[in-house]
Amino acid sequence: MDLSLTAEQEMLKAAVNRFVQQEYPKETLLELSDSGQPAPSAPWQKLAATGWLGIVIPEEYGGEGGSFTDAAVLFEELGRGPVPGPHLTSAILGAFTVLEGGTDDQKREWLPRLATGERTLVPAITEADYSWFEEDVGLVARRDGAGFRLDGTKVYVLNGTSASHLLCTARSQDENSVGLVMVPAGAPGVSVRPLAGFAWNLAEVKLENVAVEQSQVLGTSLAGGWDALERAIARSIPIFCAYQVGACQSVYELSVDYSRSRQQFSVPIGRFQRVQDHIINLVNKLDAARWTTYEALWKMDAGRPVDDAIHLAKAVGSDAYHEACNYAHEVHAGVGSMTEYGLTLHTTASRTLYHYLGDPKFHRRRLADALGL
Amino acid sequence: MDFEPTYTPEQEKFRQEVRGWLKDNVPDGIFHPPDSADVAAEQYEKRRDLGRRLGAKGWLWATAPTEYGGGGLSLDHAVVIDEEVDAVGLTVPPYYDSGGRLGGASIMVWGSDEQKEKFLPPIFKGEVRTWQLLTEPEAGSDLANVKTTAERDGDDYVINGQKIFVGSSLGCDFMWTLTCTDTEAPRHQNLGWFMIPWGLPGITVQPMDLLIAGGESGAGSGVKNTVYFDNVRVPSGNLVGGENEGWKVASTHLELEHGSGGRIGRNRLVDHMFEYCRETKRHGQPLHKDPDVRDRLVDMYVEAEISRLLSLRNYWMRNSKARLTYEGPQASYVRKMSGLRTANAVLDILGPASLTYDKEWGAGEGHFEAYQRSAIVAVHPGGTADIQKVIMARRIGIGREVREQAGALA
Repeated sequence: MDLSLTAEQEMLKAAVNRFVQQEYPKETLLELSDSGQPAPSAPWQKLAATGWLGIVIPEEYGGEGGSFTDAAVLFEELGRGPVPGPHLTSAILGAFTVLEGGTDDQKREWLPRLATGERTLVPAITEADYSWFEEDVGLVARRDGAGFRLDGTKVYVLNGTSASHLLCTARSQDENSVGLVMVPAGAPGVSVRPLAGFAWNLAEVKLENVAVEQSQVLGTSLAGGWDALERAIARSIPIFCAYQVGACQSVYELSVDYSRSRQQFSVPIGRFQRVQDHIINLVNKLDAARWTTYEALWKMDAGRPVDDAIHLAKAVGSDAYHEACNYAHEVHAGVGSMTEYGLTLHTTASRTLYHYLGDPKFHRRRLADALGL
Repeated sequence: MDFEPTYTPEQEKFRQEVRGWLKDNVPDGIFHPPDSADVAAEQYEKRRDLGRRLGAKGWLWATAPTEYGGGGLSLDHAVVIDEEVDAVGLTVPPYYDSGGRLGGASIMVWGSDEQKEKFLPPIFKGEVRTWQLLTEPEAGSDLANVKTTAERDGDDYVINGQKIFVGSSLGCDFMWTLTCTDTEAPRHQNLGWFMIPWGLPGITVQPMDLLIAGGESGAGSGVKNTVYFDNVRVPSGNLVGGENEGWKVASTHLELEHGSGGRIGRNRLVDHMFEYCRETKRHGQPLHKDPDVRDRLVDMYVEAEISRLLSLRNYWMRNSKARLTYEGPQASYVRKMSGLRTANAVLDILGPASLTYDKEWGAGEGHFEAYQRSAIVAVHPGGTADIQKVIMARRIGIGREVREQAGALA
């Protein structure tokens, strides 16, 4: 048993930490939040230039061939920002989906470009009948010669506005299958519209009579596409969870620091047990998320059965980030709600990640399935 | 990261040895009822006897040094012993004992050479069973407020006072305790920590009537007692750590009791509940197929997993000599509160069948009924849940520039 990181992982952690502090200071994060366009942007180009986007992509496809834990170390530090952009969606979930379902040619074409950030391939999965189940995919893929025509609307697409390409789930009635199609965001008939409000980089993606060639279908046919996506989601979840862990850690540190510096009634507010309770609840959520995530990562890297651990990590991790932000708001009171303070960057991200790839209730029920209940 | 102890071929060989030995040495009739208050003297004697035989093998306190009667074995060996003893449904030691884990650990850190040689071998060999005597009517969460006095008189100390929530059924051989050695001195500088032999003149033990006896020390303790000291003469050689130095000795066992030891293991109640819901039918289908039951079983599972992982982290941190801060009281706090939520889930799933051990109408042979009571009582021993939060706050440094340090561990 050894629950520590390797020396290389510690070095990576320190390097990413420095990078986030230099390239994504609070002012930059607030600007990117205002613009609603985290990528492409100057810091995003620098992130892409580090090569870190290729962390899970095998070396033969131009990536770093890192382990799940290596990727988690990177994303835990990015989560501290929280650094926005299509890193998790494209470089992790997009890349895993291509690895799981793509042909050799598609892997050779896509993976090196996802590793450098030259392209971003953002999954567009959910629709008006919001769910993460195959049966709720309604986007129509209609046979048209050697290719297809796509019609339908994807909603709540995370990083939709930052995508060079969208990886859409689509249903073919003729072929009775749900598969994946890669569509350039600028293709005729595609329109991407950001969703305003408390959503974190969510978009609507409309596809109206969009022509796609057979080569844009991931794999040799639509059939099997959904299964490839599900396998990719399972592999991605612990890395998403690591991002949430880093985010919780950052929210925790903000709260502890504030408890020491903020004075009311002539003492630091952290002297009050009511305030202490919030921070203790917060760190308990943080550590629950951290250790469920780490165990899932270890099981993935060690090739152990991992289904239950994945659902556990996501159920606990998404709840933790959501609750951590709520506790932090209690500690900070009015100051926490001031945009310039920066806590709301996390609060905003926590709500969207709560639902992304399935909310805690969804994963608790999948966990029941995995436990044979 | 590696969450699993990696076993060498030598350890696997050791596992076979332990397993075979347990098969030959765990007698029939050693298991006590769900409420350990019902433990029979005969069952207890069987457990003590097993403890002595484990002690003779060096497997009772496996990592304690051989010079003091311990096993001198590596942590990896201790893990194997824990796992194998757990697999037969017992704990190490197989009875309530506060000598090895808490008292012995404190003597290891603070005792003189002479005291270590005198007190530790009988503990580590399983020859004696030891109680801890901390809480008093006026010293619960404020433990430093103990009113039991120890007054120097020649070569002895004379002890007077009252301790509550003590020990177990069926007596002990030694008691370790915290007393006031100087009624005039400032708090924390006025205490003395003693090892007291059972049966000295002036000691009276009276069982308490409680909802259930709860404790943090593995095997069920049976009952808790009030212990009265009436001019009890204890030799000065039994004072550990020096006069007025008792608080620093206590810091060691308090640290351990606050969860810093960590452990590897599962919540057996959760396993038991899953099994029960798979095997029991209601409305013509297995209980676990009911959607409400499924949700609550998953709630229990998630609670148990979080507690297991926090304890596992502490176990690893302690054994790799990492610097612990808030982690001990955190694991304790989470486990205690999660126990209450788990009891609530059991109540939801089973309804009133979880409230009786009636053979016909109670569920799970009384285990669930006992848990309804013990989950409540378990929140308070070793520092209440609120006290765990107070310690966490100091260790994290909430509202403070200087963070409190953890107590010294051996």
